[in-house]
Amino acid sequence: MSDTSQFCDQATQLIVEAKRSTQTDTLFKYNDSLVRSVVREQRDLEKEMAPYLAVDDESVPPPIIIYQAAISRNKRCLLAYHNHRLERLKDLYWAVGGALPHILSDQDIRSKLSPHEVDFLRKYNGDVMQFRSEFSYELDITAGITHPPKDIHVAVYVVRDCGVIQTEQGTIDFRKGHRFVVRRADVEHLMVQGFLEEVV
Amino acid sequence: MDIDALFDEPRVESDLDMLMRHWMNERHAPALLPSEDKLLGRLLDRIRRQTDTVQALRGDPSSSEEEHIRIMLVQTEVERVKFVVRSYIRTRLFKIEKFARFIAIDEDTQSLLTTAERKFAIELAKNTDQHFMSTVLQSLPEDQRHIDDTHAFEPEMATKPDRNRAVFAFALKDCPPVLLPEGRQMSFRKDQLSLVPFHVVEHLVNEHVIQLV
Repeated sequence: MSDTSQFCDQATQLIVEAKRSTQTDTLFKYNDSLVRSVVREQRDLEKEMAPYLAVDDESVPPPIIIYQAAISRNKRCLLAYHNHRLERLKDLYWAVGGALPHILSDQDIRSKLSPHEVDFLRKYNGDVMQFRSEFSYELDITAGITHPPKDIHVAVYVVRDCGVIQTEQGTIDFRKGHRFVVRRADVEHLMVQGFLEEVV
Repeated sequence: MDIDALFDEPRVESDLDMLMRHWMNERHAPALLPSEDKLLGRLLDRIRRQTDTVQALRGDPSSSEEEHIRIMLVQTEVERVKFVVRSYIRTRLFKIEKFARFIAIDEDTQSLLTTAERKFAIELAKNTDQHFMSTVLQSLPEDQRHIDDTHAFEPEMATKPDRNRAVFAFALKDCPPVLLPEGRQMSFRKDQLSLVPFHVVEHLVNEHVIQLV
């Protein structure tokens, strides 16, 4: 630590990172080293505070107030950083219609997650799937809710191969470059995940 | 006889009308409203029946051209209703996620949820706490590990719904007087539209005499 740095400087950096992530709408790599050094600072603060706590005095020595404020601020910043990331991950999850394998198989995204975040997403996915199963016979609650359907059929262009899909008109082999007119409800999830594009 | 009375005759509200109303209310209210699981159950049943009928008719070779057009119209309508149902459920889910930690400890809010929603909220709160525990708290010194700190000048750890948020309230009929925050009383007349804090009209929204728009 340089001589000019103050308590909580590193925690502030975490917050700046979270803020930047929102402003640029990107997911940054999990900043493990910075998180660790804030945790280390917490332990140091605790140690530095100990002698003042040992003083047997009715009044509270002012250094304790300062140490405690720094500790609680650091802690809150740590939690805020992690919470912000969870929110982003949840947004990401819903943006692809709840297709978790789609997220986890994406190397670019996967490399930015911490192992704990992968665990969180797996558990979260389980909870959402459980909730979804309440309605599964009638409708899929993870489908898009931004545009109300105007037509039951849609013309799509295949951007990436996605194999043979069961639809109302039978099975269709979606190969890259082909165009189809299909029922929207059958392929909604493929559109959300970016396999198909609507032809306008 | 007063001619207006004829027009004021309450129209029978269909399930779909009710859904639209609850959907709008839910989308505009800052807090969760009571769940409408009975209504939702009826609508889902009907969606299922209509889908089955449509399937049967489509497969029937004796259906005429005109019938096919009608089937298509029905299908389109079913898709549109599904969209509203989905949006309604997701709106509630969005609020549940936002307030999950608060819901987990607040029984009043829990009573507004369906069993599945309640379960989801509690599981999510647990999952989030677990994540905080394994990423941050467990590596901190012993004294700092608990999650429910309350410090002066810091926001609380569990996000609560902001019942003071202003909403546009539209009176479906004349309402009993409500108490405004500054202590003044106000009565809504039928068709009156006012901008008021949500908590002022919350009970009237639940009694279906005020519609949020």
